Amino acid sequence: MATDESNYPARMARLTARKIEQTKAKLAALGTRDEDDYGLVLPPASFKVELPARDATGQWSGPRAWAANFRWLMENHPCYIDPDDAIAGRWMFMLSRMRLGYQLSRSNFAFDYSHLEPEQKKYDITPGIGKDAHFAPDYQIGLDLGWGGLLAKVRASRRTIAAKPVFTNDNRSQVSNGTNVNIEPKIAGSSSVLTQGRAQSAALADSAYALELLDSEEQAILGVQTWIRHLAAAADDRAMSEDDPARRANLEETARTCYAIVDAPPRTFREAVQWIAVFNMASRTYNRDGAGGQLDELLRPYYERDKAAGLLTDEDAEFLVFCLLLNDPHYYQIGGPDADGRDQTSPLSYLILEAAGKLKASCNLTIRVWDGMDRRLFRRGVEILLANRQGCPRFSGDKALVEGFMRSGYSAELARRRIAVGCNWMSLPGLEYTLNDVVKINVAKVFEVAFAETERPEDLEKNYVRHFRAAVDVTARGIDFHLAHQYLNEPELMLNLLSHGPIEKGMDVSHGGATYYNMAIDGAGLAVVADSFGAIEERVVKEKALSFAALKAAVAANFEGEEGARIRALVQGAGRYGAGGTAADRWAVRLTEILRAEVAGRTTPNGFKLIPGWFSWADTIRFGKAVGATPNGRLAGEPISHGANPLPGFRKDGALTAMAAAIASVQPGYGNTAPWQLEVDIGLANDPDAAEKVMALIEGHFALGGTLVNINVVDAKKILEAHRDPSKHPDLVVRVTGFTAYFNSLSPAFRQLVVDRLIREAV
Amino acid sequence: MDNPQGIRGVVFDIKRGVAKDGPGLRTSVFLKGCPLRCRWCHNPESQEFEPERAVTTGELCGMETTVETVMEEVRRDKVFYAASGGGLTITGGEPLAQPAFTTALAAAALAEGIGVAIDTSGFAPWSVFEAVLAAADAVARTEQDSPHAADGTVRSKLLFLYDLKCMDGARHKVLTGVDNARILDNLRRLDAAGARIWIRCPVVPGLNDSDTDLAAIRAFVAQLRHVERIDWLPYHPLGVEKYAKFGKPVPPGLP
Repeated sequence: MATDESNYPARMARLTARKIEQTKAKLAALGTRDEDDYGLVLPPASFKVELPARDATGQWSGPRAWAANFRWLMENHPCYIDPDDAIAGRWMFMLSRMRLGYQLSRSNFAFDYSHLEPEQKKYDITPGIGKDAHFAPDYQIGLDLGWGGLLAKVRASRRTIAAKPVFTNDNRSQVSNGTNVNIEPKIAGSSSVLTQGRAQSAALADSAYALELLDSEEQAILGVQTWIRHLAAAADDRAMSEDDPARRANLEETARTCYAIVDAPPRTFREAVQWIAVFNMASRTYNRDGAGGQLDELLRPYYERDKAAGLLTDEDAEFLVFCLLLNDPHYYQIGGPDADGRDQTSPLSYLILEAAGKLKASCNLTIRVWDGMDRRLFRRGVEILLANRQGCPRFSGDKALVEGFMRSGYSAELARRRIAVGCNWMSLPGLEYTLNDVVKINVAKVFEVAFAETERPEDLEKNYVRHFRAAVDVTARGIDFHLAHQYLNEPELMLNLLSHGPIEKGMDVSHGGATYYNMAIDGAGLAVVADSFGAIEERVVKEKALSFAALKAAVAANFEGEEGARIRALVQGAGRYGAGGTAADRWAVRLTEILRAEVAGRTTPNGFKLIPGWFSWADTIRFGKAVGATPNGRLAGEPISHGANPLPGFRKDGALTAMAAAIASVQPGYGNTAPWQLEVDIGLANDPDAAEKVMALIEGHFALGGTLVNINVVDAKKILEAHRDPSKHPDLVVRVTGFTAYFNSLSPAFRQLVVDRLIREAV
Repeated sequence: MDNPQGIRGVVFDIKRGVAKDGPGLRTSVFLKGCPLRCRWCHNPESQEFEPERAVTTGELCGMETTVETVMEEVRRDKVFYAASGGGLTITGGEPLAQPAFTTALAAAALAEGIGVAIDTSGFAPWSVFEAVLAAADAVARTEQDSPHAADGTVRSKLLFLYDLKCMDGARHKVLTGVDNARILDNLRRLDAAGARIWIRCPVVPGLNDSDTDLAAIRAFVAQLRHVERIDWLPYHPLGVEKYAKFGKPVPPGLP
């Protein structure tokens, strides 16, 4: 008998309401944050974090220290239990941000890279050195093995490696002792095993490291297993005090589920969902990792088995997925081709989509659009996007992604398996290490450097290319530096477990453990630079309405004074990137050719492949602060343009087709993306063909070469109201870039950017 | 015609990615000049045939251009027309008041396989409608071997968005400045010629929205054979502030 407590819509409503309360509490405690919601909740006020492996400066590095701290966090982690929720647990801490002096834009790094910093600063490069995660796990490994199986795998690998003759016991403790970073090798001169002698000591070091890493993996797993037991016990305890029989039954089932997956691989749909949630929460706790997987395919065997056995209804499955998506906005893909090119859409794909549709919270679900797809899934996705207005789902374009990744030298089969699991990025689950979305070159800054030293407009492009090349060069050296040291700084203890190689080889995924290394470099600020080049071509070169010297003087003076204002109006009136057929449009394509040639056309000095993209994440404000006025009329310090998007006002009519065509024309084309970020108030509420039209827009963009559409269909009135008074719409969720967030959690400056991007009276 | 692509017309706006004014996603080309003066007109800057400047901002409205220049812009969204069943909408003003330009532009688009909608008040000599239909048929004939026309669908790619504003001739004249006899006659003949037609009726409270008015329109349309749909377009006061901008008096009697 269905009581209210087993009534899914009512439970969903209560869970959503609690999520909004939690978001308010986070906002009050943490302030506004221009990033993902992440699904984390605040720990109890009385909870004290006492990490065991911290040095006097608040730092730690190396596998052992990370493992010790992580295990402590897991074993002491408060157990969040909600009697309405089918999943136990919420995550509360981000270990990687607990090192003293952490900045979102610059990670702590135990190794000195000051030799790279002057040039990084010159070009405003976000080098990604010390950045973690941002590649995809293969959940299948974990679902097949369970935590006990993973533990056995780690121990077996340790035995194999320890048995190899190169190992001597003396070396073991020399790689890192956890709390003391000083014994780590510095870039120059060190007494570490890594630089003693050469070949043999390197082999010894590798072996010693392997053992330390595997020991640390073991610690991490043991920590997670303890936490699962605690969750089970907490659910049991809560069940004892629960009067409502349906809630009590749910809590008891939650406890049973948790106990079942402490060791063994999940056997039922519910256990699989709880397993994935536990991995996600643990991996978030470790280092914010948010990459998901092909959710419909991962869960399909459990779904089919349980349904056939009469253990699961579609309503149950939908609710369980709802709880998983509520638990954490990890990035999942549904639909799209399998490795052999067959469509993966299944009844479960629809259930996942419907669950996402019912989730009135941050959610990152991507539908892969391709020729052989089930169009009903695509259509349903668009209908939910239009009806919910929460930026979910979003859509990736298979054709250009597959062709692009093949251009990077991979098979069609691998290209199809490279799925949307991040903000702007695709990754091969369990096979690839990428530094996706954390390595950025601010091309507006590169342009500024080139512009400042240019005397004649005909030299500007040449100078830009030269400086861009230098920027890529120092970025590539930074990537090498990261790949050479990150394993000692911050090994990927959680993601290693779900990767093919690190455990087997005893090598961190950042240091030889992965199968493929495809290092991402994204340009940021495309439209600012394209519009600047375009304005110079139109106003200075062609029309001669302005001398290059006068423009340089006005830019240097931040367009101040009457003459500055006149020049600013003149350059702002030039045709923009995105309008279609303008000089700036041609420059955007040219800048993309330069990006391709300088990034995809080379490797790092150590031979690692580089893949270009255009994407600024949520960093347009920070990047803008580093750049003075630009010849497109942008004032000093103003934000740079977003990703591959044209600047707001690129066309009087704000035409979506123009924008779609422009962004398709600047695709880097090697398997990484230049997403189309779209905020649109579609006045199509009564148009029965609205879904068809939005589908055509998305498909047209993909047909032209587009890779990813991060789309918000919004209610302009509501968003403007929420901008004036954020408390008015605490439930308003927007897709900020690749991620979605509660609008009221964003800083006022960032909210302004979202409002500015909004295209009204379109479509 | 020596060079139809070079025919000149006065255009005051081109909007891309438009999801109204015809099926699918469209590019709307706005031609300047209209023989009507509808009280509810929301594009008063479209009424005069010559380019004019806004009295407030000085911005120029209307520019002489060629069919080929317009087609460059129209072609940009071909992929979206194909995906959505959309195309080019020639609107205004009254596009049939620049008959040579509209005919050549429609023919150029049809020749490239792009669907065309002509958004008209119907107030034009019948010979202009004939010319447009003949141009479409000419495209079909000359391009019988081309992939665009091979399926014989050129006519089916030509759609008339045809306004019906008021069935009472005397009131029509008061509301729009012209009698509706020619409009109704053209519509009957267009229907008899087998053209695809969507009827569009602006519904302006207090002016033409009585039950009798709407029933009369329905009754008239019921006699026609090729009308695919009727759209009732609610009045919106977008145009009011534009009257001041272009130094024109706001017509009386608006809601």
